[in-house]
Amino acid sequence: MLQWYLSTLLDYMLAAAGIALVMFLVYTLLPRLGVKRETATGIALIMPWLLGFAIWTAYPIIASLYYSFTDYNVFQAPRWVGLDNYVRILTQDPSFWPSIKLTLLYGAISLPLGLAGALGVAMLLARNVRGTGIWRTLYYLPAVLPGVAVVLLWQWLLGTNGLFNVTLSPIYNLLGIGRPSWFTDERFVLPGLVIMSLWGVFGSNAVIMLAGLKNIPIHLYEAVDMDGGGSWTKFRHVTLPIVSPTLFYTLILGIIAAVKTFEPGLFIKLNPRTSGTFLQVLIYSNAFAGGNSKMGYASAMSWIMLVIILVLTLLTFRSSAAFVFYEGERS
Amino acid sequence: MAAIPREQPHIRLTSTKSQHQLSQIGTYILLTLGAAIILIPLYWMIATSLKADTKLFVLPPQIIPDPVVWSNYIDVWAIQPFTGYFLNTIFVTLLAMGGEILSCALVAYGFARFRFPGRDAIFILLLSTMMLPGIITMIPSFLIWRSLGRIDTFSPLTVGALFAWGPSYIFLLRQFFMTIPREIEEAAIIDGANVIDIFWKVMLPLVKPALLAIAVLSFNGNWNNFMGPLIYLNTPAKYPVILGLYTLAGSLSQEAPKWNYMMAMTVIMSIPILLLYFRAQKYFIEGLTVGGVKG
Repeated sequence: MLQWYLSTLLDYMLAAAGIALVMFLVYTLLPRLGVKRETATGIALIMPWLLGFAIWTAYPIIASLYYSFTDYNVFQAPRWVGLDNYVRILTQDPSFWPSIKLTLLYGAISLPLGLAGALGVAMLLARNVRGTGIWRTLYYLPAVLPGVAVVLLWQWLLGTNGLFNVTLSPIYNLLGIGRPSWFTDERFVLPGLVIMSLWGVFGSNAVIMLAGLKNIPIHLYEAVDMDGGGSWTKFRHVTLPIVSPTLFYTLILGIIAAVKTFEPGLFIKLNPRTSGTFLQVLIYSNAFAGGNSKMGYASAMSWIMLVIILVLTLLTFRSSAAFVFYEGERS
Repeated sequence: MAAIPREQPHIRLTSTKSQHQLSQIGTYILLTLGAAIILIPLYWMIATSLKADTKLFVLPPQIIPDPVVWSNYIDVWAIQPFTGYFLNTIFVTLLAMGGEILSCALVAYGFARFRFPGRDAIFILLLSTMMLPGIITMIPSFLIWRSLGRIDTFSPLTVGALFAWGPSYIFLLRQFFMTIPREIEEAAIIDGANVIDIFWKVMLPLVKPALLAIAVLSFNGNWNNFMGPLIYLNTPAKYPVILGLYTLAGSLSQEAPKWNYMMAMTVIMSIPILLLYFRAQKYFIEGLTVGGVKG
């Protein structure tokens, strides 16, 4: 055991020494080539990130694009197959479309609900309540827990005989239905996942939005009062415009987080062919799980995922002009 | 006639006052409701972890565990080598955290204080990597580590941290560095200090709150990291706690799942994070909100 730790430490020291050496070389050699001292120092200081970007971001992006056009199982050299992977994913893979549907629906349902809930809580907290700190601590709590802990907890709560069903059983009896098994019954998987995600995010998003709400100058509300406007006017014409940049930021992060969801899909055994699974789980299982190592195929899938994220982000950005208000900007 | 207008404002005043009180009470009711939604599942996690096997599925459910089985915590620890898992987690978390803090601080200082051609373009590039889903780079990164013979070691989980991963940390630190007046550095330069001295002895102590915020976020991120260990580690003895929990969940029997054990382990795993959260809450929230408000 000690040996693993020591060999890791050795790798760590070597990498650190390597980075330090590059920084030192940039710092001493560039001025000799006639570069200003300040420029050389600045470039030397950002060297760790520049190296990291080249090795762990730029190269992998290019490599992954290349792999996506190949058949590659790690043990043999990649074999060029053109668009074959993409065609197979889009037309033949029985798990792909159900998974796209699940991932997107999950995001489309849980995001607006989570944001609305968060905004509601944030507005309550902004009303000069006593003990704001304590409320904030409480509401932020689920976001600190390990994602895996949240998933396990909700698997237990939403089980057939879990607390959730037992509490709601009078309602089930009233409606004359049995207790749903949230995470094994296809029809209930999506609502179950949404309930779990709402519990995990609305509190922490509320804390972010509270910070935005605190920026609202009180005189704006007073102006509405003078004009005889009610609470709806205040919300629609003061609160919403001022928090809209925060809302927008949370929305973008939320889209990316929803498409990247991983832990729930791995713990809750979903049948990828019927109920679908999360896209990222599908990529993981094609590349790494159960002796699979379809690196080319999985790379192609991850590029499809990137395109989905880009399109969604772009659409949000395009539409943001309509609902996001920046103070410095003329409307 | 004259009495009425004089009374009117008085009436309006009391009615808005009681309205205000009413809405105040409503606010507290709603907030309490929300807090209950957050806390009941957490309470259930702890309650379950203290229940006997036979009391897990009784109806109506036991709100307060009876008997209280503290030994669940000892038993679950023995099912898998959790002591080793904890050591592994602590080792990986501390190395990754240390590397992240130091390298991000250097990079942020470079961006905040030195002018060089293309600086702003590079900084935008850095920020845009926040949008990139990690999965795109995951497979090639795995193949790099594989060609270096480092699969099933802790290196992929720690060494990468030295390369200033975490664009949001750099962003946060840069904001802090930029608020420090230049005169402080200039005074140090006159005293004959070099860049490293200034960075280490003058600048870092001044951005301590930001460093703590990053330390807390980074600890949280590495402690909870699931996909990294899942992909890179094969030998069970090298697992971090989170993978131990994952295998434990996989070994649950369908007929009589031992949720008391699972919840006990979940509680144990969450304790370090929760302690950190309650002690350094300010930094958690500061790190979190910086992007939302200033960004």
